[in-house]
Amino acid sequence: MSTAAPPRRPTPAQRRPQPRPIARPLRLGNARRRAGVLFIAAIIVLSAFAVRLLEIQAFRGDVLAAAAVDQRTTTLIVLANRGDILDINGVPLASSVQARNVTADQTLIEDPYATARDLAPIIGGSLTEIAARLSGDRRFVYVAKAVSPEQWRQIDALGLVGIFSERTTKRIYPADSVAANVVGFVGADGKGLGGVEYVFDDVLAGTDGWRSYERGAGGAAIPTADMSHEDPVAGSTVRLTIDRDIQYVAQRALANEVAASGAESGSIVVMDPRTGHILALATAPTFDPNDPGSADPADMGNRALSDAFEPGSTAKVMTFAAVLEEGGAAPSTVFKVPGALERSGKTFHDASEHGTYKWDLTTILSQSSNIGTILAAETIDQTVYYDYLRKFGMGEPTGLNFPGETQGFLPPMDEWSGTTFPTLTFGQGFSINAVQIAGAFATIANDGVRVPPTLYADSATAAEGTRVISEHTARTLREILEKVVADDGTAPMAGIPGYRVGGKTGTAQVINPECACYDGSIIGSFIGMAPIEAPELVVGVTIVRPKIEQLGGELAGPVFREVMTYALQARRVAPVTSTPSG
Amino acid sequence: MSADLQPPAGRRFIGARQEGRLSYWRRLDWILLGSGLILSAGSSVFVWSASRSDLAGDDPQYFLNRHLINIGIGVVLAVVISRLDYRLLRAYTPLIYGLAIVGILLVYTPLGTTIAGARAWVKIPGGFTLQPSELAKVAIVLILALILAEKRDAEAEPRDRDVLLALALAAIPIGLVLLQNDTGTVLIMCTIVIAMVAVSGARTRWVAGLLVGGATATVVAWQLGFVKDYQIARLTSFVNPEEAATTASYNATQARIAIGSGGMWGEGLFQGPQTQGNFVPVNESDFIFTVIGEEVGFVGAAITIALLSILLWRGMRIALASTELFGRLVAAGVVAWLAFQMFENIGMALGIMPITGVPLPFVSYGGTSMFASWIALGLLENVRIHEQS
Repeated sequence: MSTAAPPRRPTPAQRRPQPRPIARPLRLGNARRRAGVLFIAAIIVLSAFAVRLLEIQAFRGDVLAAAAVDQRTTTLIVLANRGDILDINGVPLASSVQARNVTADQTLIEDPYATARDLAPIIGGSLTEIAARLSGDRRFVYVAKAVSPEQWRQIDALGLVGIFSERTTKRIYPADSVAANVVGFVGADGKGLGGVEYVFDDVLAGTDGWRSYERGAGGAAIPTADMSHEDPVAGSTVRLTIDRDIQYVAQRALANEVAASGAESGSIVVMDPRTGHILALATAPTFDPNDPGSADPADMGNRALSDAFEPGSTAKVMTFAAVLEEGGAAPSTVFKVPGALERSGKTFHDASEHGTYKWDLTTILSQSSNIGTILAAETIDQTVYYDYLRKFGMGEPTGLNFPGETQGFLPPMDEWSGTTFPTLTFGQGFSINAVQIAGAFATIANDGVRVPPTLYADSATAAEGTRVISEHTARTLREILEKVVADDGTAPMAGIPGYRVGGKTGTAQVINPECACYDGSIIGSFIGMAPIEAPELVVGVTIVRPKIEQLGGELAGPVFREVMTYALQARRVAPVTSTPSG
Repeated sequence: MSADLQPPAGRRFIGARQEGRLSYWRRLDWILLGSGLILSAGSSVFVWSASRSDLAGDDPQYFLNRHLINIGIGVVLAVVISRLDYRLLRAYTPLIYGLAIVGILLVYTPLGTTIAGARAWVKIPGGFTLQPSELAKVAIVLILALILAEKRDAEAEPRDRDVLLALALAAIPIGLVLLQNDTGTVLIMCTIVIAMVAVSGARTRWVAGLLVGGATATVVAWQLGFVKDYQIARLTSFVNPEEAATTASYNATQARIAIGSGGMWGEGLFQGPQTQGNFVPVNESDFIFTVIGEEVGFVGAAITIALLSILLWRGMRIALASTELFGRLVAAGVVAWLAFQMFENIGMALGIMPITGVPLPFVSYGGTSMFASWIALGLLENVRIHEQS
């Protein structure tokens, strides 16, 4: 290369003849070689790209594509609308309405306090609490659950950054606490946790649907991507046998009496004896199912089904039914009733001391004599007597399948001692719930045919009635029961002008579970029916542990009268059609 | 020597040259210009696809319109620069260099603004922003070409004094950009410097020294903690993106997923769910290659790489064909710049390079980057046109 090198410093004269193409040859070799190296490097890099591209797109393409689908596919549950719970007339006791859950993306909220100040007046709650829920790095938090559509419209109108909503439904109970202890309540997730809401949760809930869509990193749906969905199946409506208006009157009357007597609790059962329909099932104290969180759990069940107690004198009707049906005695059969009676080493007394009376069967029942009842019961076989208790539904489940329901306790015959039989005859030594004992009266009211109680108006399996006693025995018993509310009976205050009413009082000692002994407090009850000629209603009232000293008839009689009076009118039962028989 | 006197092979217009000056249009390298135009025109579709959901409720074509305007301005700049008198270009070089330094310094004034951790932008009236470091690459190419070509006729290679001066002048903008945390641009600038020093014919020890020095500086910076943790995380997350829980690793993972789901033919234009879902951040700009990979698949990505390769090949041709050192150095500097930036950008999308956030030349959304790409192309055309006159 040096051979042909031009002069190092060409003079202007030398340069002029050959100004172009090149004044002086560049030393291309070195530079070219280096450029060549760069070029080869570029080729290698490009090859690396090609290989990498092939690896990612061809060989790992499936895996990466699957990862892509996975990360952008979101499945949303579309809630099925929960079915309504109606009363027998179609009045809603529980219903579901559209609502919104207010949610927040904390990362989008610059000033949680400013946002909280806007939200607080609409959703309620403390400013600091709401601000705390808005502060942080979480992309999704709940700010308020189940606000009304109107509340959400107000929030939406504020145009707050980072505040969103999702559709949901809210369970509302338009009648508030009326029938609350039957209808039950739902939890925050909308699942039934008590009462009918719990029993029929599957039926009410329906089947949730889903919506599957692909969403971008920001959470918004990708418009061009696939979507699939399955519509929800709404839950079914459950219609109860409860009549909201009778239920309301029953709850009001019961609450008043429980308050007035300082009682611990109480319950009322209103039944149609012909169908077994429970028209009202009131307990006190009660709760507001719209706000289950603030209720005492003890008040959220149904005491008429969950509390077992010794029935006391009301159970005597079953003893008399058995005696009359088996022909052990007639209403006019006279017994010599002493003031005290010893059986198997135990001495039985009546409620008040008395000498030896000669009482017929009717008087024994209307005066509620324990000793007379034992003597009358001894006219029939113990086994036969036991079978009657069973046929009346004692010790058996009611069939309502209500949560927390007790079936009571009837000692089986092989566990009986010598005193068991006489004790049972006047309503002690076994336990029942309020619906069970009301059911025994309903059997007598329904001319001796027992129709199992039900709460569900559209129950597919309308239970067949079973005959327990003859129509004649039932009529005879009802006429004896009418004497109880007569002026010289134990519950004259239960009488209703214009209707023939019959019933039985009960004043049972309460067994204190702590000492397993009688502690002096009582359960006062009255169970009656009307009209006596062909009863359409049975009402049982139970008052537990009143503070004032009163007997069952005095405690429960007036409540019975108030509820029965209203129920007779509500059911449009015609007033008296016949006069009491002698 | 006679071989050296021969015009380089592949020059087409030898005959025409004897007749006098060819028209400007006939002297243009149409393949170079064409590949640039195809890349930019095609990129509009991908920018549109990536950005139309970014402004929910607003104009979905906001980014597209600005991108098209940027391309238009870029093409005009390229034409103007390609037509500039060669001597004028040399004369203006010190001025351009000075303006670039001033531009970078403006970033530190209240006019400067920070995007994605790098304080590299200057707000200009009308809601626009400029990235002076992009334009500084042009200045570095020109100033190095000027200094390294400034040797006496008889000298075979640049004097050490010239190389030192060139390095010193390059170090000023590089140092300023480094202070802006714009690691990607610093890497590109260093590559330009090394490539131009190598092509200038400077002694091998300069080239070797620069390579070794650069590597040593990196290690020292790392060891002494000059490099911040997030920068290390960013640089290392590409090795194992699924395990590192950083933003950078998220980007790397999402980029890989998007490209991977494209397969052979892609999901279809506007149909890439990962793109439409904005899983990959800044996918209209730095990660535009993921949009190409997902929506038009391996075929589209390969075509893109091929077009960029054609562009580099034509640039390389212009550099090698250049008989003047200034022109050759300009062309070589531009090729090194575009090649490395392309390598850096596609490499990070493919997970074989660290995530440094540099745009893909001619393709990515971004005004200054688009202008710089077209200025670079204009410079190549300028060198070619000068060579043929």
